[in-house]
Amino acid sequence: MSESISSRSIRYASRLQGESLTVGYDAAPILNDVDFQVPDGQVTILVGPNGSGKSTLLKALARILTPTEGQVLLDGQDIHRSKTREVAKKLGLLPQGPVAPEGLTVRELVAQGRFPHQSLLRQWSSEDERAVNEAMTVAKVFDFADRPVDGLSGGQRQRCWIAMVLAQQTDLVLLDEPTTFLDLKVQVDLMELLVQLAHQMGRTLVVVLHELNLAAAYADTLVMLRDGAIKHWGPPSDVFTSANLKAVFDLDAHVIRDPHSKRLICVPTSAPEPAQHIEVGVRIA
Amino acid sequence: MTLRLSHYWVLRLPGERLSLRLPVKALLLALLMTLGLLSLIALSLTIGSYEMSLRQVLSTLLGDEISGQMTTVVWEFRFPRTLVAAFVGTMLALSGAALQNVTRNGLADPSLVGISQGAGLAVVTLTVLWPDQSSALRPWVAFAGSLIVAALIQGLSWNRRGGSSIRFILMGIGVAAFISAITSALMTYGQIDRAMSALAWLSGSINAAGWSEVRMVSVWCAVLMPPLLILSRSMSALQMGESTAVGLGVRASVIRYALISVAVGLAAIATAAVGPLGFVGLIAPHMARRLARSGVGIHLLLTALIGAFVVTLADLLGRALFAPIQIPAGLVTAIIGVPVFIYLLQKSQAKSAL
Amino acid sequence: MTTQVSQFAPTPESPEDSSGAWLAYSAGLPVLVAVLALMFGWHIAVGAKSLPLSTVLNALISYDASQFDHMIVRDLRLPRAVIAVLVGAALSVAGALMQGVTRNPLAEPGILGLMAGASFAVVMAIGVFQTVPTVWLPWVAAVGAMVTAVVVWLIAQWAPGGATPLTLTLAGAAITAFLGALISVAHLLNQETFEQLRVWLAGSLSGRRVDVLSVAAPWLCLALGVAMVLSRKVTVLAMGDDVARGLGVRTGWLKVQVLLCVVVLTACSVALAGPLGFVGLVIPHVVRLFIGSDYRWIVPYSALVGGAYLLGVDIIARLALRPQEIATGIMTAMVGAPLFIHLVRQRAS
Repeated sequence: MSESISSRSIRYASRLQGESLTVGYDAAPILNDVDFQVPDGQVTILVGPNGSGKSTLLKALARILTPTEGQVLLDGQDIHRSKTREVAKKLGLLPQGPVAPEGLTVRELVAQGRFPHQSLLRQWSSEDERAVNEAMTVAKVFDFADRPVDGLSGGQRQRCWIAMVLAQQTDLVLLDEPTTFLDLKVQVDLMELLVQLAHQMGRTLVVVLHELNLAAAYADTLVMLRDGAIKHWGPPSDVFTSANLKAVFDLDAHVIRDPHSKRLICVPTSAPEPAQHIEVGVRIA
Repeated sequence: MTLRLSHYWVLRLPGERLSLRLPVKALLLALLMTLGLLSLIALSLTIGSYEMSLRQVLSTLLGDEISGQMTTVVWEFRFPRTLVAAFVGTMLALSGAALQNVTRNGLADPSLVGISQGAGLAVVTLTVLWPDQSSALRPWVAFAGSLIVAALIQGLSWNRRGGSSIRFILMGIGVAAFISAITSALMTYGQIDRAMSALAWLSGSINAAGWSEVRMVSVWCAVLMPPLLILSRSMSALQMGESTAVGLGVRASVIRYALISVAVGLAAIATAAVGPLGFVGLIAPHMARRLARSGVGIHLLLTALIGAFVVTLADLLGRALFAPIQIPAGLVTAIIGVPVFIYLLQKSQAKSAL
Repeated sequence: MTTQVSQFAPTPESPEDSSGAWLAYSAGLPVLVAVLALMFGWHIAVGAKSLPLSTVLNALISYDASQFDHMIVRDLRLPRAVIAVLVGAALSVAGALMQGVTRNPLAEPGILGLMAGASFAVVMAIGVFQTVPTVWLPWVAAVGAMVTAVVVWLIAQWAPGGATPLTLTLAGAAITAFLGALISVAHLLNQETFEQLRVWLAGSLSGRRVDVLSVAAPWLCLALGVAMVLSRKVTVLAMGDDVARGLGVRTGWLKVQVLLCVVVLTACSVALAGPLGFVGLVIPHVVRLFIGSDYRWIVPYSALVGGAYLLGVDIIARLALRPQEIATGIMTAMVGAPLFIHLVRQRAS
């Protein structure tokens, strides 16, 4: 136990760490004794089949779920014992499928991100205004700042929510499946934005993704989960392999490198021999 | 100090200890509503079986004794009654706003989710079984009854997948039917005079309200409104869902219980004072939202004003329309409220189906 | 969700099974008739003056006008018992039909507002015309129930998601609250006329409305018969509109027939006993527990069990707080509301 922690934890600086996290009921924990250090300044992407515990891990890191055992440390402090508002100044969260109240404008939504920095009497400082404008610029939602969120397209809406988390001005941002139900082009745009946040603005991002190819293309660190445990963990070039995909997703796929972008892509292969035989047989008949 | 005019006034004191962003339209509207409410109260004071002019009412209120009868009518009957109506409206409206926020359900109302019925049962029990108890006990009993019923409904509508707000409403209808039946049975059991006084109270009548009721509702208003004001910031974050709110640094579980307690408290005290008044808590928050868009703080202010206006108007209509017969305000709010409820049902989200 | 559907749709059975079930189900009917008869006698026997069952039987079979006890039975208690049986049967069958046609486990004349509509119409008619010929009372109630049924259905239909159990229930509750408030206002405006209606409005069998009984009973029995005839098609309809249409049922016309049948049943009940909530909810669900989802059996079983149930409830209502009598409507709500809560809970999980 202690061995595995020390062997893993020295590799890079990490402000957010999970230590032997167990989440869920005793009989069937969703997450079982997981150690995890979020590398600073990188895009870390969690992937895994349904029920693997990737969203649960993210929620535990974001203190939405309280682990039954283990703890989450933010700058060395137990996150569940810290003041939640102080945590919110360092750690932002975009939950899965958030819904804005009817009629709320983009600017008002983004302004909600200032919540941990405000108080009853201090609700709109110049600092707040600056942060909101900057967040809207970065997320490219300035053009429709005064339109209601519920009237926007899915991709625009998701950018608004990202702007809200940006306005929170946290060094760490956790995002739970931010690209679900979006067109591929919009997914790519969003991922480009997230990578830019990490690499140019020094934010640390943890993202749960469904799309394997997107994950491989944009992750600095790729984390594969299965059955409530982390199975593989490292840069995509090490982790995103045919063998690992088979082991974690039970997926038969080739992993190839795109000659132009040099990114890794997996191409599922149809479950192999017998099908071909039948096809041949049909032709002969 | 800077002051800029656009959709919002941004008010910032030097050093920014105080910095607020105030929606212009909503603030102006709040001002208008305040004036409207004051005029309605003044009008309400002039109307009744004893005719008085506005001037007479005002000078009586200012302490000039025009005639002993006028002083009695204004100070002993109409003024306390109108004040109680306004306070009760405020409390029910704010209770509805808090409930709608915490259940994330636009159809929540203290009378629809059994809270008023809980208070009703508790007060009727007290009236019928222990008639000698002083009325000072009423608010506490009402509060306890409401809290038990609210907890019951919450417990019943919670399951492994967590609480669903729609189930909360259906559960409220069922529990309300059950509690109303027990209340009726109690009144059958009780002596006829006590039952009659309980019956008058149960239809939500402000007839009998006097200065002791004014004292009760105003004191409790003063106790329960500051917590709500403090909670208002968290309410605005909670509007976007519990996970988002937690991410923003809201202690969601604590806030949830605090909000429910305040909502139950407000509704219970109002019910203890005048009996159950339905639909005010449903209508007022929606009207406020439709009239002007604003943050939660100003929205609560508008909601409170509209609630006060609606109940004062309901009381006035109830006693003026068919004078000398008095229609309890609770019946008037139900008749106004049901069409609004149906309208809101049409507008509600399809995805919220059971 | 799927388990819920299966509860209301017949499960396919092999022929052997269904013939075995057929025997068992028909054997149950005489038993229920016996239970009903027993409850009937007991209902007549209890009261301010308890009578032995033998006296009750004598009074019913060989009436002797000179005996005071016989008079009590014949003139005071028999009509009340007959009303209890008829109203219990009518409301239970109405509830069963509504649940089958709307595929909504919460459907019931009280919850969906039909009773409030019928009561409102009666109250208004009496308020406006002072006296309404008894013959007309069931029809006035029927018009009220009909209009309310259509309004509630339209409100639910227009709501997003259509006429779901949720929207129907909410619309019914809203209309009930609205009409209740209007009735209270009318009451306040015209105290003397309405004082006589107070007890009736709480849902009570104590009025002994013999005159109404003679008018309403034939229509009520006719509607029960029609319900029996319709029950076969309702079974098919409970499997879904498309399935029913595929099997050759004219679903639109069938729904109109069922609506008319339900309205007549509700109206006669309201005219006889005032609004009695939740009876139509409780009984079909209890019956379904034992005999499954075939409406050819649910309808007659509901009628018998419903009659016995209301007799039992009325006995408790008369005995529980003696010498006072609890309105029967209060008792049915106290029994029915917990079941409603249970159904909402069950449906959600």
